[in-house]
Amino acid sequence: MIKNYLKIAWRNLLRQKAYSAINIIGLATGISACLLIFLFVQHELSYEQHFAKADRTYRVVNDLIVDDEIEKASLTTGGLAPALKADYPEVETAVRLVNADKQAVSVSDDKVFYLTNSYFVDSNFFSVFNYKFLSGDPVTALAAPLSMVLTQATAEKLFGSAAAAQGQLVKIQGESFKVTGVLAPSGPSHLTPDFFASMSSLGNEFMQMMEGEWGNTNTYTYVVLRNSSQAASLQAKMGDFFLKRVKPAYDQMQSTGRVDYKIQPLLDIHLTNDWLYELSPSGNQSYIFIFSAVAIFVLLIASINYMNLATARSAKRAKEVGLRKVVGAHRSQLVSQFLGESLVITLLAVLLALALVELLLPTFNGLTNKSIGSSYLLNPVFGLTLLGIILLIGLVAGSYPAFFLSGFKPVDVLKSDKAPRGSGATLRKGLVILQFTISLVLIIGTVVVYSQMDFLKKADLGFNKEQVAVIDIPSGDTTLTAKLPLIKSEMLANPHVTKVSASAQIPGQGSGVLIFLVERNNAMVEKTMNMMTVDYDFLDLMGIKLKAGRNFSPDMGTDQSSGFIINEAAANLLGWKEAVGKRIGFSDTTSGKVIGVVKDFNYTSLHDKIAPVVLRVRPRTSGYLLARLSADNFDEALAHVKSTWARFDPNRPIDLTFLDESFNAQYQSEEKMLKVFGYFSILTIIIACMGLFGLTSFMAEQRTREIGIRKVLGSSVLGIVMLLTKDFAVLVIIAIVLASPLAWYGMQQWLQEFAYRVPLSPWLFVSAGMVALIIAVATVSVQAAKAALLNPIKALRSE
Amino acid sequence: MLKIVNLQKKYTTDEVETTALNGISFEIKPGEFVAMMGPSGCGKSTLLNIIGLLDNPNSGEFWFLDKEVSRSSERQRADLRKHHIGFVFQSFNLIDELTVQENIELPLIYQKLSGQEIKERVNEAMEQMQIAHRRNHFPQQLSGGQQQRVAIARAVVSKPALLLADEPTGNLDSAHGREVMELLSALNEAGTTVVMVTHSPSDADYAHRIIRLLDGQIVTESITERHAARVLSPEF
Ligand SMILES: Nc1ncnc2c1ncn2[C@@H]1O[C@H](COP(=O)(O)OP(=O)(O)O)[C@@H](O)[C@H]1O
Ligand SMILES: [Mg+2]
Repeated sequence: MIKNYLKIAWRNLLRQKAYSAINIIGLATGISACLLIFLFVQHELSYEQHFAKADRTYRVVNDLIVDDEIEKASLTTGGLAPALKADYPEVETAVRLVNADKQAVSVSDDKVFYLTNSYFVDSNFFSVFNYKFLSGDPVTALAAPLSMVLTQATAEKLFGSAAAAQGQLVKIQGESFKVTGVLAPSGPSHLTPDFFASMSSLGNEFMQMMEGEWGNTNTYTYVVLRNSSQAASLQAKMGDFFLKRVKPAYDQMQSTGRVDYKIQPLLDIHLTNDWLYELSPSGNQSYIFIFSAVAIFVLLIASINYMNLATARSAKRAKEVGLRKVVGAHRSQLVSQFLGESLVITLLAVLLALALVELLLPTFNGLTNKSIGSSYLLNPVFGLTLLGIILLIGLVAGSYPAFFLSGFKPVDVLKSDKAPRGSGATLRKGLVILQFTISLVLIIGTVVVYSQMDFLKKADLGFNKEQVAVIDIPSGDTTLTAKLPLIKSEMLANPHVTKVSASAQIPGQGSGVLIFLVERNNAMVEKTMNMMTVDYDFLDLMGIKLKAGRNFSPDMGTDQSSGFIINEAAANLLGWKEAVGKRIGFSDTTSGKVIGVVKDFNYTSLHDKIAPVVLRVRPRTSGYLLARLSADNFDEALAHVKSTWARFDPNRPIDLTFLDESFNAQYQSEEKMLKVFGYFSILTIIIACMGLFGLTSFMAEQRTREIGIRKVLGSSVLGIVMLLTKDFAVLVIIAIVLASPLAWYGMQQWLQEFAYRVPLSPWLFVSAGMVALIIAVATVSVQAAKAALLNPIKALRSE
Repeated sequence: MLKIVNLQKKYTTDEVETTALNGISFEIKPGEFVAMMGPSGCGKSTLLNIIGLLDNPNSGEFWFLDKEVSRSSERQRADLRKHHIGFVFQSFNLIDELTVQENIELPLIYQKLSGQEIKERVNEAMEQMQIAHRRNHFPQQLSGGQQQRVAIARAVVSKPALLLADEPTGNLDSAHGREVMELLSALNEAGTTVVMVTHSPSDADYAHRIIRLLDGQIVTESITERHAARVLSPEF
């Protein structure tokens, strides 16, 4: 019996090639989209899982509260870890991590490398984060000062191989570190080290400052609890930690601030977006949700094709059903036969999908910044998902046609080759509307995301980000920063380098917040604001406009010690109508004054409203060197900037970027979303149109006779194409009506993430709708024209 | 074999009610060969479908193999069809995707038979209908007469006690029609009860008895000449 079913299934598959191709290719595309998203989601959910104590490891984070401004920071004070360990028996281990960011390291005089993630950690760090060591002993590796553990990638970069690194010396800021261990690559984590070095290497002075000063927050603190069930009670007990441990120190500093400590499960770190100063970019739960929904939609659209085509061509199968019943087949036997057929088709689709996944994985990895390898095939969860997909599509998509077809009565179907009237046409129409509604929501989504991105890139930021080269000045090299004025003038020697400036912060790279003392009603009050340290040329180079007062000037000797420029937002925050001349400073001993007010400029991404910022001037600041290059001789100017820099800093590779690129990099996650939306909306519309194509051809086939008669009676080809197309066009128009409010609502939600957003014009919806309509009509009319061009005599004979 | 008492069948479509059968009663004995005749639309096919348990009557009794089956479920009817009834249609109704051999096999795959037995029975049926040499052809590759022989082979492969044929020669030329009638006749002589709908008097002559219908009612029942001759012959 099974053999007979398979035979029929296989021969039907071969006989109806276009039909089979639409089904299998459509399903395979949907399934591969699903599998890729599954791999993505699984990767996102697997962060930190490989650490043995992950389930009872927590990071301590804190709300830093000053003057009812709350900063939610993942950075804590260095004294926190030892204090927690001493105060609470629940805490089994507490370890700290200080991120020293980018460091230039050298293994010999002529070999200098930049390492981006330099982590200084407590010696027992690896008892919490149990990395696998290729060489070295996790327990003792970081016991001594000036010891370091490299990742395999770093070891290979510095020494050519992991084996060659052990015991070698690495120079960082003049100190020689000994390599005491090399780590094997590990699973995904919020820690993305290039190396770990012993925290004691930072020196006694630093350690004392770090542990003694509660106002300093530069340390990540992790605790392992004896039991994960103690988390809630520990959190409760920590309620008075600030009062007991920290308040006395704050009082001494005369600070009115407060800190609320929270423990955050290690496993939650990656998908939580609440905390500032993360070690690596967080994942985004809503993207996981959106991606999954989109994948399921693609699969749904492909499944609908299967159901629609299977029922539409039911006429072809009706005779077979009738006959099998005549010879005594039970309905249940027919149901299982048709389910079997859909399982066969699904199975073929899955095989094709697996090949597609393998093919698309590199592109997909690029899109999502992931490095998922082929090992997923060995993952039992992946296998189960695959099985789930096969059963779900094979059975769910297969069951409607199966029950529909097996319900035919032999007396009805054996009389003619026609399926009984009204065979599921209404449901089919409904499903086509559903397909196009989904496609349209995605298309509109893509158009909205695209126009928002365009808006972000073209928005007037209040400064000019084009044609500015940015050189990252290596930190801690005071001899180099001392030469900055000289470097600047040498760069300016080339007429195509129009301006040069050095600043500690640049737009798009974040700025530190600081507590300022500002004048209010003749008294000085605390206020948290962003600060940027710049040189005399910064405003000029950036094209930031002054609104009141004057720019920093080297001629005014006092600007360095007491001159401040604020933006309009700061003036508004502080309630200063005439800001120039108002008192501002870091502590009450300084007699700082506002010398100018600049127009607001977007120094952070357009996600956020422009916040108050205070600028101060230092001519020899480390950070970034900015050079504005003339557009006409851009290459020459750039070459001059590079060669000048290389003369002053010959040993290190130059780290040069462009301001517009690094600023736009803030929209990476939106760019990613745009690509995903784009790919998937194209995919859904293609699959939906494949379904339409199939439906039209079956419909044209069923109406061959009608078309023939109409032609004999004088109808034109165009008239017939219109007749066949009209029905489907109506369905797409209904879909447009349904999709528009859905998409409008969804995109309105998404746009809330931006403080500055593109208006949602009705044209977006109209144009997206028109695109879908044109594609659908084009698809249908190709088939319709084929039917209309058929010789009517032939058509009429076929009955 | 079967007995029908006061059978009624009505069709209701779009609020129009058609009485296809109106108070039909007759009996068919095992081994009989009965022809049904009458103008188009008089209810022949409807009656044949009810006899073949493809359809249920609205009222009346239908005794099949000494059981009242007029109210039986789809499943019970399928089981009775599977074991006791074979069908031959005017339009052959072969499955285009299956070969001759596979088409004939079809009724057997729904019965619990061993692969060996299926093979033997299919071979036997093909030999009997003289189409064994075409076993691997698909229906479209055969002539109408050959297709109908395949259909008959499929109808008899499960050795049914009752064979129903709805205008089996309707789509055939007279030579092929005669061939088919000879086959049905031979099957009947071998013991199978045959009920056949036909428009052709010469075909009806192969039967023992003719039931004539008009507007859903039986107008006459008569014994054919050929049968009368046989009944009167001494060796009967
Ligand atoms: N499925 C059906 N629905 C409605 N009416 C039907 C159906 N099948 C047959 N009829 C009607 O029942 C009557 C008898 O039909 P049928 O048994 O096919 O006649 P015959 O086979 O003698 O030509 C006709 O009037 C026909 O229109
Ligand atoms: Mg008929």
